[in-house]
Amino acid sequence: MKIVSDMTALLTGMWITWQHIFRRPVTIQYPEEKRTPYPRYRARIVLTRDPDGGERCVACQLCSAACPVDCISMQSAEAADGRRYAAWFRINFSRCIFCGLCAEACPTLAIQMTPDFEICKRDIMELLYEKEDLLIDGCGKSHDYNFYRHAGIGVTQPRGAGPKEKPPVDVRGLLP
Amino acid sequence: MPKLIIDSISVEVADGTTVLEAAQSVDIPIPHFCWHPALGKAGACRVCAVKLVDGPVKGIQMSCMLPAQDGMVVSTTDPEAVAMRRHVIEWLMINHPHDCPVCDAGGECQLQEFTIAGGHGIRRYTGSKRTHVNQDLGPFIAHEMNRCIQCYRCVRFYQEYAGGTDFGVMGSAGKVYFGRFQDGQLESPFSGNLVDLCPTGVFTDKTARFRARYWDYEMAPSVCQGCSLGCNTTPVARYRELLKTTARQNKAVNGWFICDRGRFANNEVNDPQRPRTPLVDNRESSRDEALDALLLRIAQIEEQYGTGSIAIVGSPRLALEGALLLPLLAQCCSAGALCYFTSQEESDTTLFLTGLLSAERSASQQDVRKSDCIVICGCDPLQEAPMLALAVRQAWRNGGVVYVIGDGIDLPCTFTTVASLDAVPLADAKQPVLICSAANRPDLLAATLKQQTHLKLAVLFPEANSFGAAQLAMAQGAISLERAVASGTIKGIISVEADIPPQLLAGIPFVAALDWRLTEAVRTAQVFLPTTAWVEMDGTAINHEGRAQRFKKVMHPGLPLRGLGPAVHPPHIHRSTPPGGDPQPAWQIVALIIAGLSGERIAEPFSERWKRLRELEAESEGVMTHDL
Amino acid sequence: MIYDPLDIALMLAKIALVFFVILTLAAYLVFAERKVLAWIQDRKGPNRVGPFGLLQPLADLIKLLTKEDFRPIGADKWLFYLAPAMAAIPAIMIFAVIPFGAPLRLFGHTVQLQVADLHVGLLLFVALSSLAVYGVALGGWASNSKYALLGSIRGLAQLLSYELSMGLSLVPVVMLARSFRLSDIVAAQAGCWFIVYQPLAFMIFLISIAAECKRIPFDLPEAEGELVAGFHTEYSGMRFGLFFVGEYLNIIALGGLAATFFLGGWHGPLLPPVVCFSVKVLAFAFLFIWIRGTLPRLRYDQLMHFGWKILTPLALLNILVTAWWLVLRG
Repeated sequence: MKIVSDMTALLTGMWITWQHIFRRPVTIQYPEEKRTPYPRYRARIVLTRDPDGGERCVACQLCSAACPVDCISMQSAEAADGRRYAAWFRINFSRCIFCGLCAEACPTLAIQMTPDFEICKRDIMELLYEKEDLLIDGCGKSHDYNFYRHAGIGVTQPRGAGPKEKPPVDVRGLLP
Repeated sequence: MPKLIIDSISVEVADGTTVLEAAQSVDIPIPHFCWHPALGKAGACRVCAVKLVDGPVKGIQMSCMLPAQDGMVVSTTDPEAVAMRRHVIEWLMINHPHDCPVCDAGGECQLQEFTIAGGHGIRRYTGSKRTHVNQDLGPFIAHEMNRCIQCYRCVRFYQEYAGGTDFGVMGSAGKVYFGRFQDGQLESPFSGNLVDLCPTGVFTDKTARFRARYWDYEMAPSVCQGCSLGCNTTPVARYRELLKTTARQNKAVNGWFICDRGRFANNEVNDPQRPRTPLVDNRESSRDEALDALLLRIAQIEEQYGTGSIAIVGSPRLALEGALLLPLLAQCCSAGALCYFTSQEESDTTLFLTGLLSAERSASQQDVRKSDCIVICGCDPLQEAPMLALAVRQAWRNGGVVYVIGDGIDLPCTFTTVASLDAVPLADAKQPVLICSAANRPDLLAATLKQQTHLKLAVLFPEANSFGAAQLAMAQGAISLERAVASGTIKGIISVEADIPPQLLAGIPFVAALDWRLTEAVRTAQVFLPTTAWVEMDGTAINHEGRAQRFKKVMHPGLPLRGLGPAVHPPHIHRSTPPGGDPQPAWQIVALIIAGLSGERIAEPFSERWKRLRELEAESEGVMTHDL
Repeated sequence: MIYDPLDIALMLAKIALVFFVILTLAAYLVFAERKVLAWIQDRKGPNRVGPFGLLQPLADLIKLLTKEDFRPIGADKWLFYLAPAMAAIPAIMIFAVIPFGAPLRLFGHTVQLQVADLHVGLLLFVALSSLAVYGVALGGWASNSKYALLGSIRGLAQLLSYELSMGLSLVPVVMLARSFRLSDIVAAQAGCWFIVYQPLAFMIFLISIAAECKRIPFDLPEAEGELVAGFHTEYSGMRFGLFFVGEYLNIIALGGLAATFFLGGWHGPLLPPVVCFSVKVLAFAFLFIWIRGTLPRLRYDQLMHFGWKILTPLALLNILVTAWWLVLRG
């Protein structure tokens, strides 16, 4: 009988919703109750330092190129020791959508995302984070990576002294 | 005319064409590092491998080294050829430092492109990389030899194409080194082309070091304003700052390259001293105030000294659009004089030489490159217009003979010094070219030109639009400012991007200036209106042969972000216009003055015989203006 | 006919009482709906405004009152303004004929706990519920919006179709009670509720009033997934609020009528009559909320098919059977 099976189906549904009325709600009352985000949670962006304390960011512009909302801008510059660094680095958090593409694009692991998601401000201008607001004293998620040690052009070590590098060629030598 | 098939497309090419060029002619890209259209082949990089499936040659071949032959069947996508190219890229990457984030070529690097295109991603080689020590190559070129992939483009250009002697290749085998014998500035005036030529980041522009990435560049096709040759360039700007200039190809003009003088010429545009705000009696004001003041003063001067007491002064560096409106401006304020040149001598010689330069007579840089007999008459191309010297060298490389009249002239090729034009066997030459400048005595040339009808003439004018200014001066009967001032009736000068010497300004009660450079006229002007530099506007310039070329707006006028204040980062301010963004193209300001004087609004500077230039494309070879 | 001033006072008091109670009830029904739906969906529901969120209806009211009163370009001004009232007023007027408690003896008077005990109370209800159609029809048409128009066309067709089966399902009730007067119908159920005699009529009536209230699974006139908000898409502020309140007033009114026609009205065991009646009304309201939390929306052709080909014939058959049974019993 189709009508019986149809009615059973309806009543089964009603029974299930009836049961749910007495279940514990899964809601978390946000400002009072807080959930600890996972370490890989994508929220406020920071700039990290390498294990030697130098700024990891070389202002290569890859994050600003990857950013789908164009909220990152910067100006690269050269330090006295030849290190490329960000003269200024700005993230407009009022525009940021926390997609994490910048962190994914970063070749030096400088730009990283933290679980700190509570960065609301009354004044939108306060959401303009400059380099001094972004730079932290720490390595963030990768404790032993220093881009310049592997870059192969010196800067943190004499040329040809990096890992997997031969000493510089003597161009006047005739030996093969 | 060999006929071959590339990737199922049938191509017929001229004799001596390589398979690579044949493929390019039908838009089939084949990766290449060492091959360059201007430098030819070297067979050094092995990345242009293709497979010849059928025909006189078979198997994997280097397409740049292989002349196209009848019946060849070429496959660029054959798995064997693809694998070969992938392996080549992989071994070229063996010693390449993985420093793209800190390399200025990153984003505009052929090695990056072909590495990605070739499919090489993960490094398999576990050995060590060879390293080099860099050299200080002067203030313009940065050197990073670790990135080198030994394509030999740099040395082939520097020594063969440009005739430089202080840069070469050293070492052997895997230790090949491209550099100078010792640290020091590169001597060739064409060294900047190494930056454009290097397929990766060995040579980068030191003046724009770490300034921006390719994807952030503001670029537009432009024309160099350094001299009258009108070499095609692509200036690069970012944050309202002109960062660098790169060469743009124009086969009829500069070919593939530009000289260092044109390349490293950012300072004038970026100059912090550059006047950017309208001034009335040295007081900052708005554009409208300054315009009102200017109109008022013009009326006062005319009232006080009678009509005809004002001189409208243009200049050979003023873009054609502005120069075209000056006669109308002169008419509107019933000016006593319309001037395009300040000095009488410059006016005379430029007008005379421009008169000689008919469509058949004028020699382009390409004509010079193809010439078999070149006479350089009392001018120094390397100083006045370096790219012409490079063209002369190409003629010499192709077997042409170079004669020089005059002393103390250096050229990047061997030449014979002769006493006079009579000593040159012009009659025997097929395509002789005579190079002279506006600085020497051109009247002596007239007789020779009359005899040798096939002799072409290349004149080195000092400014980018000298030819256009001279054409207009002839058509309008303009006189030089020197003569106009000497007449004593001139009491007011309206200088439109003119370089007027102080002595001509000394006795003039009223000076108004429109300019983007801090010239003498700007310093003395009672009313000043800022104009845009060539990279900040669309404009037209007529080069030394009478070729009109369009340059496009590269960036917005305004103070560069870099100089905006003491803070490290840009200010936290919203505004719709950039600070110092008042300048307008000179022709638009002139049009505003005309509108204020006569009520006539001019939306389009090109009228009558110049109408054809409205549609001029910046990326075209340009339009010859002789028969407009 | 001369009216006793006390009668008039009593009448006014009853009107005021009914107004106050049902409007408050409607407001809190909204709140209850949000709460129960939240519980069904394992959520907490509104709990921010006041203790347990009890002041939420007040907050909603303030919000609706302070919103911009918006009228689309090209909308028919008067009809656009009239439509929300047309939707809400008939729903309120239905309460005039519902007896919500046993007659009360007060100061020597017998007070009917019913605003107006009409002879034709049932017919008045049928007439008023037909009037409510105009709110939907005019609101959608006057909005000058395709979504609103489509919603109102659907609403018209649906309300007209289900009105028929609703009316037919009440015929057996009248036959049993032998009166159109609602107090008579309640009185007739003093012994046995009509639901016992007429389970089929009750089911048809229940389904029909769900459709009349435009409740899920019959909320096609305002199907969010297809028509934005249906006939009231273009309404904002308190005008939207009137449509909204009208809907909940309808639920209460029709719940009260269902109780009156089939569940013995205010008759009930143990509890005082008014409480009995209230419990029945609230039970109906809860049933509607519960159904909303469970069932999906019907397709339009299913809706029409069900109304015309199943409910109406069934209702007619039911009348026939009832009449036959009554005749047989004498």
